[in-house]
Amino acid sequence: MALTMKKTKHKILDMLLKHPDIHLSGQKICDVLGCSRTAVWKHIKELESEGFKIEAIQKKGYRLLSTPNELSEARILVGLKTKELGQHLIYFDSIGSTQKETQHLAEDGAPHGTLVITSHQMTGRGRLGRTWSMPKGKGIAMSLILRPKLSINRIPQLTLIAAVAVYKAITEVTGIQTDIKWPNDILVMGKKIVGILTEMQTEGTNVKAVIIGMGMNINANKNDFPEEIRHVATSLKTLTGKEHDMSLIVQTILFYFEELYLRYLEEGFSVIKWMWESHAVSIGKRINARLFNGKVLTGLAKGIDEEGALLLEDDQGSIHKIYSADIEIE
Amino acid sequence: MLKVEDIRELIKLIDKSSINEFEYEEEGTKISLKKQIEGATQVVQVPAQSVPAFEPVPTVQPNQEAINTTSTSQVEDAVDQAKLHTIESPMVGTFYASSNPDSEPFVQKGSKVNKDTVVCIVEAMKLFNEIEADVKGEIVDVLVENGQLVEFGQPLFVVKED
Repeated sequence: MALTMKKTKHKILDMLLKHPDIHLSGQKICDVLGCSRTAVWKHIKELESEGFKIEAIQKKGYRLLSTPNELSEARILVGLKTKELGQHLIYFDSIGSTQKETQHLAEDGAPHGTLVITSHQMTGRGRLGRTWSMPKGKGIAMSLILRPKLSINRIPQLTLIAAVAVYKAITEVTGIQTDIKWPNDILVMGKKIVGILTEMQTEGTNVKAVIIGMGMNINANKNDFPEEIRHVATSLKTLTGKEHDMSLIVQTILFYFEELYLRYLEEGFSVIKWMWESHAVSIGKRINARLFNGKVLTGLAKGIDEEGALLLEDDQGSIHKIYSADIEIE
Repeated sequence: MLKVEDIRELIKLIDKSSINEFEYEEEGTKISLKKQIEGATQVVQVPAQSVPAFEPVPTVQPNQEAINTTSTSQVEDAVDQAKLHTIESPMVGTFYASSNPDSEPFVQKGSKVNKDTVVCIVEAMKLFNEIEADVKGEIVDVLVENGQLVEFGQPLFVVKED
């Protein structure tokens, strides 16, 4: 029942989105969807409460004036141009960690393409137990389940595909050009707007599920960030001075991710590698790579290899393959 | 067919020789002897950066009952080794003994593990792979250091199976 109700709401939104210039009468919507006028009215009210501005004129009907910039489940699903990614959407008004929730769902057999999403994540995390803080309602935290039939050694490449999908989507929706910092941080003018962390569930050498988690700073103001991270983090709003449609950004990321993913399965990593390298900010520059044990490797970032590992040439001319490190550009 | 005396003689001869391993087969009966050389029978001595595919090799074939009763310490050794399971890294990456630098390691020498106990994390390109023990038993050795780069197939832990 709940699902059908939801679907009717999504169909109404779909109709409104497709007819931005005319008023759709309640009766017409009823006829098309086969529901009562009261049901239509209820769904319209619900959409309004989610931030959709809908004009209602007596004897003419309803017309959509604007969509909310806030994250909206209906807005993500209506017009989502993917076959699988995000089609099984699990939306939370707030949640501790989308990544944790998705881990459980993946263990319980949630299908390829399942997406868990919120704009209010309370205990987000990053690499090595670091926290990922996100001002309530102004950013996106999402975790995507992939079930690729690939050998384990190819899975790290998926994290680079994620970075390419994100930069394409951000540029398309906002016009902002972004940089990738190895392996998959998305930066603008040296500050981070998107962080990506991936976890894998395996059984022996079989990949059962890959869970790609993304944290995105979209509509936060500078002062919304804790002071200690203001010099390293920024948001799309801070950069452009205006708010952005978070649901549209999600839709677009999913679209590009699916397209790139299918292309990668078909053609391999080389095309992705080229797209990744064309936006990689550190390549060709001198960098410091801080390893886990505190050791710092300094040298020229030459590029990435076929696995996605960073190639660093030190001052003695020897090449180091780096699989995990914090990268600083000198 | 070899008699117990013959085998005793063989062991003595091999002991004094420079031969480390000896195999002999006759009419479906097989004997194989291996010297106790320092480091050679212990998985823990495997250099961390190499990629050995370690398989405990029983020194006596199962169809060799007569010999079983006579071979001494080597047989016991073989049995012990057969129960040891090596947890290998499924991918190249950085080995983490704990979920974050400030927390306790997932397991240590002496830890009891079940099949689904997480023993470590291996990371590459911000892909984190929690490695499970896959067997029930006790961790008898940790072969790598926290933060170390590990290769595909590199042994990480030795588990004595229950």
